Formats: sequence, structure tokens, C-alpha cells
Amino acid sequence: MASKPSLGETLAVLLARDMVDGEKVIIGTNSDIQLAACNLARHMQAPRLWWISGPGGMVNPTRDHLLSTADFENIESAESWMDLPVMIDFIDWKIHFFDFAILSALQVDRFGNINTVVVGDQRKPKLRGPGTVGISALCGLAKRFYVCLTRHDRSAFVPRVDFLCGAGHMEGGDSRERMGLPPGGPKLILSPLGVFDFEPVSKSMRVKSISPGVTLEQIRDNTAFDLVVEDVPPTTVMPAGHELDLLRTHVDRRGELRRKFP
Amino acid sequence: MTKSKIVSIDEAVAEIPDGAKVALGGWIFNSQPMALVRALIRKGARDLNLIPAPGSIAPDMLIGAGCAASTVCVFISFEQFGLAPHFRRQAESGALKVYDLDGPAIAGGLRAGICDLPYMPIPDLGTDLPKYAPEHYWPLPSKPGERKMLAVAAVKPDVCLLHAQQADEHGNVQHLGPPFFDAMIAQASRKVIVSVDRIVSTDTIRRNNHLTKLPSAMVDAIVEAPFGAHPTTSPSLYRADDAHLKEYVKSSASTDAFVGYLDRYVRGVAHSGYLDKIGGSRLAALGVSETNLK
Repeated sequence: MASKPSLGETLAVLLARDMVDGEKVIIGTNSDIQLAACNLARHMQAPRLWWISGPGGMVNPTRDHLLSTADFENIESAESWMDLPVMIDFIDWKIHFFDFAILSALQVDRFGNINTVVVGDQRKPKLRGPGTVGISALCGLAKRFYVCLTRHDRSAFVPRVDFLCGAGHMEGGDSRERMGLPPGGPKLILSPLGVFDFEPVSKSMRVKSISPGVTLEQIRDNTAFDLVVEDVPPTTVMPAGHELDLLRTHVDRRGELRRKFP
Repeated sequence: MTKSKIVSIDEAVAEIPDGAKVALGGWIFNSQPMALVRALIRKGARDLNLIPAPGSIAPDMLIGAGCAASTVCVFISFEQFGLAPHFRRQAESGALKVYDLDGPAIAGGLRAGICDLPYMPIPDLGTDLPKYAPEHYWPLPSKPGERKMLAVAAVKPDVCLLHAQQADEHGNVQHLGPPFFDAMIAQASRKVIVSVDRIVSTDTIRRNNHLTKLPSAMVDAIVEAPFGAHPTTSPSLYRADDAHLKEYVKSSASTDAFVGYLDRYVRGVAHSGYLDKIGGSRLAALGVSETNLK
């Protein structure tokens, strides 16, 4: 009997379930959970998922353990690797080449805009983050994106991001389209407390499901804006035994997710 | 016959003036041009304007050592070890001017630089970036119904510092792993300085010419610096030294500790002396082999 899934394992399984066979996916640096999710989906319903790591340019590196997405040793197990100046055209300019990207953030707001740049004023920030890299283009040009956060508190879930570096639904409603961005935007936000989507008209963040043992009150207390709640949100369906087995035997044999995201 | 392009590490950085626009190659913990960065700090460089490819310790150490007046930030991260300590501190205190650029602005800017164009068009992706770096982004006119476009300014570094695995005396540089942005940076820069882990013969270069990512005409100076990317990885030759990266982060917690770090590893320490301090057995253990892939 498999032991309880860690946070990292749970997030990887939840992401993997949402991937469709044949889709084209991009993930960024420092993306253990994202990488695990892609390789897990390839062992489940999406064997022809085509995924690429932004920095390394490796296509479908499929090891049985996790390595950093920029790690050159991934090349050995990749189908191909693309020179960055070539990849850049797909990442930074081409509309809807990628079905989705999976991102992380310092802050995400009620319309799914994200911030990895600064908390506070850019000229004298309270917290200086790592920067934008491909996030602006992936949020703007991929068909959809996911945001995967390993913490959920009022400093991460904010009414409005301090620095918008990846456009979600902008100011809500049809503002993203009016801005001239291609159709798309955030599909799901995943956190330790639950899974969130967006109400179709207002484009406001909505509670989709709640992690076992967590209450709606707890989510509200840890979110600095009003979430849309319709009826009684269900409990998130946690990783099943076979999903966890696949993850631990075919994707993350060294237990990196358990170690890094307990 | 023209002179060999191989120069000593100190010669390579001697002519980089204070205030220069210095681009740095590699990617996060891959191929950071660390031997060149340490030489630049030893020389006492000041007021540099950094243009790092997504990086880690190369821009961070130059910032921490007081060599930088400004930096472009596409992405500066210590990944699993947290935020870049000196970049973070000086950005938060306001001591360092930071120009946040996204992927399209650095890629478009380098392409404009390469092509001698003043700017490149990118789609307006609705971010706050133009508000904080108007020198780099400005709106382009568009007709009703057309996509909103921005111009991104040409990026033309005075000099770039790169690290690759091998080169010959003519300056043919071979990458045994991903070259990341190195070729674009080299094309856009007025002067190109590359450190390599080893010098090889032109015969070796010719035998594997598909690995030559920077042909000699694009390169001004080659520096032989074995383990020159340490503590970051030099793809296919050695892995990142996680213990040293942790030591760096720990030593960056206070000014005194960081002065100690620089005195021990950088100031007055030649590259060979640096390798001695890291230690032979430690370096050997970073060498890539099947046994440490586990």
C-alpha cells in the first residue's frame, strides 16, 4: 500500500490528469512538479504528449527520475533538442503553438494575472523576484496555462498583482480580448488548499475543489480577495494508488517530490 | 599568419573599461563564465551595466562585489537555493538599477543588435514591463483592428563573456551541450571573449565541426580556463558544485561573510589558485561519468 502522497506528488498528479494526448506543452526552469506531471501523463492517458523544457530545449526527456529542466543530462534521454534562437520563435512570437504552459508565481490575482518580478514597487521592491523570462509570451500566446503554487496565503493570492508579467484575464470580463491578446488565459490554479478555475463571464477566480481536510473558511482566510463559490465545492480527488505507483516507479524514483515538497 | 586568439585571463578582461555594457552567457547554473567574472572582480571593475542571459552566480557575484551599476534582468535565480542573494539585496535597497526585460525583449533586442536595426517589433502582451523600462519598450503605431505592437530596443553589448567546452587557437568555439543564447549574444556584441575548459587542435574541431557554434570570425579572444564555469556546470564535462553554491549563498548572508568569500576565492587569487582552493578530489568528483548520474 502506497504511503500518503506529498504535496508535490499531489500537484503533479492533478496536473497530469488534465493533459490531453498529443498536446504540445512547455515548462520552465526549476519545474520539478511540472516535469513530473508531463512524464506521468505520458505514462497514463497522454502517451503522445509532446513537451519541451524552455531553457534546455529538450523534447520529451523521459527519465525515471527527476533532473532540473535545464540539466544537460536530460539531453541524453530526449528525442531532440532545439537551439534556443529557434525555440524562441515558438515561445515568444507564434500564437497557439503551445497548447499550454505550466507556470509558478510569487503572486496570482483574482483574474489569474501572475507576477514573478517584484513584490512592492519595481524601483524599490519589498521582495525582488527572479524576473519574467518567457512567462509574458506563454501567458499571452499559449492556448491556456496553469499556475502551480506550493503555498496559499494572502501574500500569494492578491486582489491585483504588484507587477503584471504574465497576462491572465487582465481586468476580468472580456478585457483580455480587448487588449488584443489571442484567446486563452489561465485554466486552473493549483495550491495546497485547492484547485481554482475562472467563472466564464466575470473571469473571476472560482473555487473548483477543496483539498481533503481543508475548509472553505480556511481558503477564504488565506485569500486576499473574494473568490467565486458556487454551491458546495467538491473535495479534490486525491491521487489514486495506481497514479502514485506510476509516479514513484516510472517518473520520480528518487523521491524528489517527497523531499522537496513534503 | 595571424596571431593566435588565445590570451591569458587577465589580458582578456584588462581592456574592459569601467561603465561597459557586459553581456554574460550560459543559462542559470549552466556555463556561467565564472573564471572571467572572477578576473573582472580582481581587476576592480566598476559601474558595469550587465546584460545577463538568464543567469545565477555570474551576475550575482559581480553585483555583490560592487562592480555593477545596473543590470538587465531577464531571469536571475538560484533555483533550488532560493533567490539570487546580492541581486536581491541591491535591487531591494535601490542601489542597483534593474531593467526588467522579458524573453521577447531580450531575443528581439539581440536580433535587432545583430542586424544593425534600431528595434524589433514584438506583440504587446499586456504586461507592466514597458512602464518600468520605457528605454527598452515603446508602442508602435497600429491601424484599427491590427494587433497592438511594441518596439524593443536593440541590445548591443560592448563585450560579452561566454564559457564553452573547447576551442582552437583560431577561436573556433565548440559547445558540447546546449549553447543557449551564446551565439546570439556573440553576434550582437562588439567584442567576444570566451573561456573554454580545454584548447584542442583544429583537426579536432574539423572532425566534429557540427559542434562549432561560434566560428572563429565571431570570436575575439579565447581563454583556457579548466573548470572555468565552476561552481556551475559545463555541459558534458562536469556538474554544478551544489556544495559550493550553498557556501556562496551562506557567505552572502552578511557583508563581512561575503568579503571573506571574495578574499578566499577571488581577490588576489589566480584561476589556478582558485582550483587549488576548491581541491582536486572535489573537482574530480564533479566530472561527468556514468557513476554519478545516479
